[in-house]
Amino acid sequence: MKTKIFILFILIIHYSLFNPTNAQRVTGTVFERSEASKKSPLVGVNIFWAETSLGTITDSLGKFDIARSAKSNRLVLRYIGFKTDTIKVTSENNFEIVMKPEGQLGEVVIRGTSSQIDRLNPIQTEIITTKALAKAACCNLSESFETNASVSVSYSDAVTGAKQIQFLGLGGQYVQTNVENVPTIRGLASTFGMSYIPGTWIQSIDVAKGAGSVVNGYESMTGAINVELVKPDAREKLYFNTYVNHLGRGEVNLNLNRKLSDKWATGFLTHASTLQNRVDNNGDGFLDLPLYTQFNGINRWQYKSDKMMAQFGVKALYEDRLGGQTGFRPDEHRGTAQFYGFGNKTNRIELFSKTAKLYQDKPYKGLGLVLNASLHNTDSYFGFVNYDGRQRTLYGNLIYQSIINNTNHQFKTGINYLLDDYRETYKDSLMTRTESVPGAFFEYTYNHLDKFTLVAGLRADYHNMFGAFATPRLHLRWQPWENTTLRLSGGRGQRTPNAFAEYYGYLVSGRTVRFWGQTIQPEVTWNYGLSLTQTFHWFDKHWDLVLDYYRTDFQNQLIVDTDHATPLASHLYFYNLKGKSFSNSFQIELNTLLSKRTEVKLAYRLFDVWQTMGQPFGNSVLQQRMMVPRDRVLFNIGYNLPYDKWKLDLTVQWNGQARITDPMQSLQATIDRKPMPILYSQSFMNINAQASRAFKKFEVYLGGENLANFKQPNPIIHAEDPFNKYFDAGQTWGPVVGRMIYAGIRVKIKD
Amino acid sequence: MKQLTFVFALVLTIVFGAVANKPGKDKEVKIKTSAVCDMCKERIEKNLTLSKGISEAVLNLEDKVVTVKYNPKKTDEAQIRKVITETGYDADNLVCSQTAHDKLPECCQKTSEAHSH
Repeated sequence: MKTKIFILFILIIHYSLFNPTNAQRVTGTVFERSEASKKSPLVGVNIFWAETSLGTITDSLGKFDIARSAKSNRLVLRYIGFKTDTIKVTSENNFEIVMKPEGQLGEVVIRGTSSQIDRLNPIQTEIITTKALAKAACCNLSESFETNASVSVSYSDAVTGAKQIQFLGLGGQYVQTNVENVPTIRGLASTFGMSYIPGTWIQSIDVAKGAGSVVNGYESMTGAINVELVKPDAREKLYFNTYVNHLGRGEVNLNLNRKLSDKWATGFLTHASTLQNRVDNNGDGFLDLPLYTQFNGINRWQYKSDKMMAQFGVKALYEDRLGGQTGFRPDEHRGTAQFYGFGNKTNRIELFSKTAKLYQDKPYKGLGLVLNASLHNTDSYFGFVNYDGRQRTLYGNLIYQSIINNTNHQFKTGINYLLDDYRETYKDSLMTRTESVPGAFFEYTYNHLDKFTLVAGLRADYHNMFGAFATPRLHLRWQPWENTTLRLSGGRGQRTPNAFAEYYGYLVSGRTVRFWGQTIQPEVTWNYGLSLTQTFHWFDKHWDLVLDYYRTDFQNQLIVDTDHATPLASHLYFYNLKGKSFSNSFQIELNTLLSKRTEVKLAYRLFDVWQTMGQPFGNSVLQQRMMVPRDRVLFNIGYNLPYDKWKLDLTVQWNGQARITDPMQSLQATIDRKPMPILYSQSFMNINAQASRAFKKFEVYLGGENLANFKQPNPIIHAEDPFNKYFDAGQTWGPVVGRMIYAGIRVKIKD
Repeated sequence: MKQLTFVFALVLTIVFGAVANKPGKDKEVKIKTSAVCDMCKERIEKNLTLSKGISEAVLNLEDKVVTVKYNPKKTDEAQIRKVITETGYDADNLVCSQTAHDKLPECCQKTSEAHSH
């Protein structure tokens, strides 16, 4: 596999280096927009290649003709009384440039389609814009992927309300989830982290598939999700949102942004939400959704000048969850066998800062420092079992970027440090772990006329517990024709698993937890991917087709085994992988604009995920990974009037069967001395729809989730006897709560 | 099957709704405004589009003329001009509302026209 990629890589390099560029000169015309509504040519405009002395001026017709430079691909246009303009020159020619007079704000609102595929990024990246986020009114990051085909989100169990991502056939822990390029949802926060980022705070989300960039660390295995939050200098001074659903969940969000001076700005992002209504629609005696209250806020300060950019701030979060049997009251029943209860209290505080030194005359150059410190405290109980965790994290990243000779050769290099201090207690056992990892990285980017891009990254880290390791990663992007983009990627990833936080849902059970064999080692993967993005015209419409295939191979993995039960106990085993474990993911996605106002997306995804299991029981079998539906189909249609006067949206998802277990059937197999049974869930459909209407000062929305009202039958095994050792609420593959209707209002005040 | 029928019905509703919403008997009016920049363009277009009876508004910054498509049963030209003046811009020979104009960012006010070329 590796040698094949290497050969292909050499061929592509060869092609791009020796394919002669068609034109050695760049020509064009420069205009101004005159009062008389016509364009008129500008004479004598200074035109030169950035960072060179190679230049020319426009003639009496506004025309110019300049030789290409080997040192730069950015052409600068300068003329007194007009804004200096820089254009990136690739292979095209015969430019028509309209210069804007000074003193005119060229701020343009970008109104693209709702999800976009970044064509120039060497890593296959989908961008979820605010427009797509508004398609699902609710509520936080976990609900932001509803119309995205690559990411799916499901409940991890039927009690806690924790949600888990599925990406390239694997769980969310294998995706590096960053907030503004700082790894955030990791460690103990991975349990409920998806609900810690309210939707109204989000400006955009980038979903990058395959091995990520080495700049942000070694933990990205299947991909990287980066969330950009609303900035303090955003044009929206005030954004207020309330939401309520028919089950009784209520939510308030308020964002305030203020420019204090030309250089300083500050922003507050706040959120409060709660559910205090006890809902048990399936009549199993358990709450379908936990009661909860969350308070969440960020205050950020930003400084921007020509020479530097800085921001710093604080994030704080408090959340209280309560689930279990409907009659459970923690003050009376906690620690008794009268009612089964679940509780979780989480406190989190985070301090962050980013500082960047800018070089006005050398825009390609930069020096940045990212510092982050967080304290995460979480206390839970599941019936009689207590689980408490604390994580302290320190993260620092110093990045320097510049070019080698010209902007075709760019690099980023730097050093970083990660300190994770864990202290967890489960029942009576105390587990502590301190990870201290200094590292250094170098990433080189070669760009040839924006047709071919290569990113080669390497990082070296030293882990205090697991020793030194290298993380190589490679990305290639090749655009052989205008409408075709091919991408290839490969790379290594490593992370230390957190068994309890990542498989939290399995703890809501009567299972006996065991760690088997030697101590849990870091998980190591190699991920390879190939993708094709093709744009074409058909039936007078513009279509986008995306095809991709990714494979993740595990060298080591934390295996979670829930297959076994004996007359003594039902088991939850954690152990290191011995043998093969891999995930294949294939996806095809088609997007089009049916009319100017109607957008359609259709996608199909196939996951083929297997791991070698069963060592504690003396066998070694290649088994399908639990809870991964093999097939998934997504269909989305959206209709929009200009300025979102009316906005209608419908999403249909079909999820195929996933492998599940049932402790009772496992027990029967043990008694009968048969191999463990292979069970599958049902397939099901999920339908969401929303309508919104904008007025001058506000916007109202009304929507529904799970409109087909599908409910997983018996999501909790042994719900009638929760203190039984075969009780299990962790076998959730479908919606627990049925149809849900919501409504809300958004108020935005811009300047 | 029941689910599929339901989905199909929803899709039809949306597609039909989209077609039905197409302006059929809409009238069109062109109004000269005092817009200066892209921000002005956005502000005027947005306020017009979100007003009763107006289906589309496109402002051309080159000649500052906004083309408005509207349903004559729900609104009229006087109402449309009023929306523009209350946004803070002149509409043909009607002068803008002074209070609304003064609230605009500096770059969008009429005086800034003098600075531009």
